[in-house]
Amino acid sequence: MSRLGIFVDRKTLSSAEQLNALIRCRDAAESMDHSVEFIFPVDIRKIPQMDALFIRARTDPMNVTYVASRTASSAGIPVIDDPSSIQICSDKINMYCHLEKHKIAIPPTKFLSKKDISPAMIRDLFERMGSPLVLKEPSTSFSLRVEKVCDAYEFQRVARRFIRMSDWIVVQGYVESTYDWRIGVLDGEMIYACKYTIPSDTFKIQDSVNGHVVYCGVESVPPGEVPGEVVRLGIDAGCAVGHGLYGVDIKNSNGDACVIEVNDNPSLEGGEDGLYPQVYHKIIAYLLER
Amino acid sequence: MKTMLSRESIHLVERDGTVHVVAEEYFYKTESYYTILSHEIRGVPVAPGSSAVLDAYIVPLCLERSGSAGIPVADCTISNSCAQYPAVLYGLNYFASSSEYTVVRDSAPGKETVRHITNNGKYPFCYQRLAEGENIERHVAIFGSSCSGDDEICGYARSLYDVFEIPLVTMVFVRWDDGMRLSSLAPTRYSSMSNAEKALLRAYIAQQEFL
Repeated sequence: MSRLGIFVDRKTLSSAEQLNALIRCRDAAESMDHSVEFIFPVDIRKIPQMDALFIRARTDPMNVTYVASRTASSAGIPVIDDPSSIQICSDKINMYCHLEKHKIAIPPTKFLSKKDISPAMIRDLFERMGSPLVLKEPSTSFSLRVEKVCDAYEFQRVARRFIRMSDWIVVQGYVESTYDWRIGVLDGEMIYACKYTIPSDTFKIQDSVNGHVVYCGVESVPPGEVPGEVVRLGIDAGCAVGHGLYGVDIKNSNGDACVIEVNDNPSLEGGEDGLYPQVYHKIIAYLLER
Repeated sequence: MKTMLSRESIHLVERDGTVHVVAEEYFYKTESYYTILSHEIRGVPVAPGSSAVLDAYIVPLCLERSGSAGIPVADCTISNSCAQYPAVLYGLNYFASSSEYTVVRDSAPGKETVRHITNNGKYPFCYQRLAEGENIERHVAIFGSSCSGDDEICGYARSLYDVFEIPLVTMVFVRWDDGMRLSSLAPTRYSSMSNAEKALLRAYIAQQEFL
């Protein structure tokens, strides 16, 4: 019997869906004869006593999840998400650099340093990449700091807001679609697939519309119904980042599949794995039984 | 010509095939961080590394790595709400900086400080107990050297450079009568450096000083 630590924080436990997902994970571990201990930030010193660590709290190199991940990694304990995956996936500049380096298809992308932002540069970007453009603050999650801009005025307004949080920002060509594929990849293998249907009144998977938060629809899709090129692209994109657990978002509206992003710590509480009951077993086997 | 050490200026010093990035700060998502990252992505040897600077500025990780290398470090506890005083307190979240610490002697001001650095309990924080008479002291390290003239501080500067390879960093210590232990590493504003420190840094940048 091995001990699995699941790192959580208050926010993880504040939603019924997250709580339910944690219970499913614990049940899967126990059915495989492993014990589970939930580890909170104040218990971080317990991590070296575990045989593996599964982080289920919002990851970022600047918060305590990174400390947990590094603590596990330093102690030689298998961990999802590992520090490198957190560092790469939490920062879209870093993530797109890795995808470009491995020749993974992504939308037309340019990184812009705050010192390079000028009216001439903005004009040039619209001329070369078309309109609208999508601006992203690198550490955005759940589409929080992702904005579509149609002209130089909007570009400057949004960029000015984002560069308060980051010296570099991401500029991308806009790819229209009504849904994103989400391919769950673990150590180079697809372990689930689903569609995120984008709400009609926004272009993001989560947005605030007229003061109300609108969420995307989640539809688990059986493996036989996922296009082969989407599966391959998802796996390749995951491998470009590392060997951990990733949720790869892909747009495939015109048959030209491209990766929108690779997420560490992918959500599993929205029904993403509805048709894949072995997801937690695979994660636990990866962490404890290799 | 004298090297300009103006605010936010970044200097690249190439030596033995490695690019050394000199900057006031190496925070996540800053120009210097992305300068390091772009070298790493292109496979160009660069110092410090992007993961080293993340570790250096996150207090528990800084102490863990330093302690593993045999450097005396303060004992650090992560908490959500309470600390034992007197103590030095650091935030541990997206908005925290290791250059911002608070020394608290009593529990009444401690509660207010904790409320502030945890954003009303939203984030954890970390603290290091201080014994009576212990104080916080800061020293600048430049490519593993110190202008302090104190052998102990020079030893820390050398050892910390071996661990993190950060060309310019402020070492924060807990000092007592007979010695000191590392509390954290923090960024260094050029404007806060002494003339001797600026001269030493300029010599390194101009490659007059052997790395």
